[in-house]
This record gives sequence, structure tokens and C-alpha cells, in this order.
Amino acid sequence: MPREAEPSLNEKQFIVQALGEKLRLDGREFDQYRPLELTFGDQYGVANVTLGKTRVLAKVSAEVTVPYVDRPLDGVFTIATELGPMASPAFEVGRPTETEVLLARLLEKTVRRSGALDTESLCLVAGQKCWSVRVDVHVLAHDGNLIDASCFAVVAALRHFRKPDTSIASGQLTVYTPAEREPVPLSWLHSPFCVTWSFFGDDGETALLDATWAEEQVRVSSCTVSLNRHGEICQIAKLGGVPVEAVALLQCTAVALTKAKEFSTFLDGKLAEDAKRRNKGGFMAELSSENDR
Amino acid sequence: MTVIPEATLSVLPRADGSARYAHAGYTVTASVNGPIEAQRRDEHAFEAHVDVVVRPAAGTGGTRERHLESIIESSLTQLILVKNFPRQLIQIVLQIETTPDNDYVNTKLVQASLNFPIVPSLLQAAVLALISAAVPMRATATASVVAVVSQEGTKRLVVDPSPRDLEQAQSVHVLAFTSHDELLLAESEGDFTVKEWDGVYEAALKICCRPTSTKAGIDVMLDDSEDAAGSDMRQFLRSTVEAKVAADLYWK
Repeated sequence: MPREAEPSLNEKQFIVQALGEKLRLDGREFDQYRPLELTFGDQYGVANVTLGKTRVLAKVSAEVTVPYVDRPLDGVFTIATELGPMASPAFEVGRPTETEVLLARLLEKTVRRSGALDTESLCLVAGQKCWSVRVDVHVLAHDGNLIDASCFAVVAALRHFRKPDTSIASGQLTVYTPAEREPVPLSWLHSPFCVTWSFFGDDGETALLDATWAEEQVRVSSCTVSLNRHGEICQIAKLGGVPVEAVALLQCTAVALTKAKEFSTFLDGKLAEDAKRRNKGGFMAELSSENDR
Repeated sequence: MTVIPEATLSVLPRADGSARYAHAGYTVTASVNGPIEAQRRDEHAFEAHVDVVVRPAAGTGGTRERHLESIIESSLTQLILVKNFPRQLIQIVLQIETTPDNDYVNTKLVQASLNFPIVPSLLQAAVLALISAAVPMRATATASVVAVVSQEGTKRLVVDPSPRDLEQAQSVHVLAFTSHDELLLAESEGDFTVKEWDGVYEAALKICCRPTSTKAGIDVMLDDSEDAAGSDMRQFLRSTVEAKVAADLYWK
């Protein structure tokens, strides 16, 4: 496979010098994201996210399986991330690169381990049957800040997803098809979002949000903060790179909170818009067999 | 569900060529990189290696995807001028985005069954992406899927069958033709007679190889009368590329 073309020395210096003069190549502010777009498909649980030129597609699917022996009361929830040659010819099929491993790990920590999805609600018959919810993250185009875009896509797809309705009568489990009963949403507890900071300069004194691919290749360090709109931090990952001062990091988390709030309101708006689009005759409330909490 | 096919060219910024194709509930995004350096094991001394990767929307690819890959790969090797690029690789990635739902059954993630109805979408997306990547080709290709459904003793042909039709279908056929009206691909599944296959062939030929109506005339009149036979794939391919070229060459 061909190697990814590295930016030349001139390019690198140009980017760094421009940042030193408080300028970004695309004219954005340092704490400004590229335009974020989110579209849902006709099916439930498909989210297409574009962040500038980065494009991520997340698809959620569910099926009934046997739970793990050591966790008989929990459902199965997996996030699958695979970077194919579509994102860049440097990525090979079936051979994960470091980017891919880190991305999968971060999504795992942010969405799964933070308990965003209530896995106990996926249990159908203890120790015998449970839902297996799977999120597939497909990176269609990679132009930097894959982590934030993927995390947003995963959260959006999961919140948009509906799983088939089930009932248990005298020990007999029935899974209803979409034609019989309207599918029900997942039991969702909170929406975590990733906000990635990139640091530049000799001591990492310049901090950027939403770095593009060119900027990512030049950065000296990066830090990903995952938090929800209530300011509850799920994880902070700073994997190597130059050390950054604690005060600067605190400032970063403060800004990350406002960004998480923005993401949250944006997603809520999009979901409401989509629900309205689907609810054409106003029958959704009647069709739903869901109980209010 | 789109009844008429829809396509956009060059949707991905970093790939050499790309296309997004939606038809009959299937949406496929294709990217083409090539000619690029091939790995040692894929290197052919006299021709380019065409590498097709089919990635399902949900789940990891299995035997089903490998089978689809082999079908698409053998068809595309016939079209691409592989002899022009010895020791090179032309990499085609086909990402399935959506497949039509059947509201009457709960789908299992891993299905061992063949998935013929998606082949036309995959092939069409691949051809459009190859055009977008400006890979030299002998001809373009158009494809369609036809199912033979028996209802109350009579058999009828269904073009672009829905998942419901496929449940009842006796046989499913995928046919692809080059732009020189040559048969490129013929894959069939199920019980059928030679006579039925001939009928399927005629139906597919009508969709894939309708004479191009470059100027308003007799051909256009013919199109109207045969509207029920499905969309005109060749005209679709042509108009998509024409629209893209017109948009690209438009400046000021």
C-alpha cells in the first residue's frame, strides 16, 4: 500500500508560523468547528455526519443473541470501527492502523464505558436471550478530526435508532416485525461528545479545536475530552506528545463544555426535525406502544 | 425508496474518483484509487490488478461479500484496460449504505444467502466511480436484476424486485451489458427454464441497452410506449456523466 504523503518542510513551517500569527489556513477561529452537518436516512439508526470534508457514516443494527455467560443480565453492545481504503489508500483492509485502534478505543471509552446506553434494558430473558446492539462506523472521507465526527455520528445514530418491540407471555418471547408494531427507541441515559484539542508550538502553547488533516500532521500533541452537556467528564485522553500545562488543560475543558452543549442542542434539534418528518399523519403517538418514564 | 436511479459523481474529496448511487432502496458509495502501487503478492507482470472491496452497511464482510467481490471484479477486469498498467493496482471500494427493509420479517445480521439484487447497484456505482477517476475503459456497463415471480399459476417478470417480491420469486437473474450491447455478466439463482431465461434476457436488454436518443425523434417516441419496462440505464449513465462534465467545465 502506498504511504500517506507527508507535508513538506515548507508546508509544515507555513502552518506553524501562521498559527503563531493567530491565523489558520481556512480562516477559522482557533476554537471554531468546521460546518457540521447531520442527515438521517430513511431507515432508523443511520446517521451521516459531515464535518468540513470529513465524512462519517454510522449505522446501528440489533439482533437477538445469547448474553455473555459472566453477564447474564446485560445485553451486548459493540462499536465496530474500520478504516478502509476509501478514507485513504494507506489504510489496508483487515490490518488496523494505529489511528483505527485509537479511534475504536476512544469511542468505546466515551460511549460504552460511560454507560450512555443502558445495557441492562437490552436483556430479554436472563441468561438466555438479549439484544445485541452493534454500531458500525464507516469513515468515507478523512480530513482530520475523525474522533469528534465519529463520536457525534455514533451518538446520533444510537439516539435515532429504533429496535423491534418485544413481549414475553408465559415464557414465550415474541419479537414483533415493524409491520406489526412500531419499533421502540433504546433506553438512552446521556449523550457524551468528544472534543479534541490539538496543540502546536514548542511547548504546546497554541491550542486548536477541530484540526484539519494538514494541521493534524503538524501538531505536537493532542487531547480528547469526552463529556456530556451537564459537564460530566467521561474521559480525558492525552496520548503522548509534548506536555501541556494544567491550567491550559482546564481552560480546554471549559471550552469543551460549551462545545458539548452546542452539539447537544444541534442533535436534539435534528432529531426533533426528523421525528416531525416521519410523523406525517400525526399517528406516531397512537402507533407507539412505549410507556412514559 | 427511489424508483428512478440517482447518482452523484466525485463525492469524496481525497479519493481519485468516487460516486454515490441510489436505486430501488439500495445506496452504494464507491471510491476508486488507481493506478497505484500494487503489493508484491498482487502484482501481475503484464496487467493491472483490480481489487474490489465490498463493505456491508452492518457487520463485517463474510463469504457473501467475497462472492460479490469476485463477481464485480471479474466483470470490471473485462472493462478496464488492464494491459495498459502492468504491475499496478486499481482499488475499488464499494460501501453499501442502505438496503431496502422488509417490514414483514426481522432481519438477521449475518445471512448466508446470496444477495443478487444488490449487484446492479454495486456495478453501476463502480462504473461511475471509474469514470470519475478517469480510468481508461474499453466500454461502460449497465446492469439490472430481474426476478421471475409466479402468482396464481402465471409467471411474470419483475424488474428491480422488492424484498417482498424476492421472497416469492422462483428465480433471480442479474444481467449486465457493455455499451456495445455485449453480455458482460449473467448470474442466476433458483429454478427456471431456458425459455424463461430468454424472457429475462430480453427484459434486461430492454433496460440496459436501449438505443440512445441523442436527438428527439423516433427513439423518444419508443421510450414513452415502453415506460413500464423500467428505467433506461444507458441514458441514465450518459446523462449523469454529461451533467457532471457540463458542471465541471462551467466557469464564470
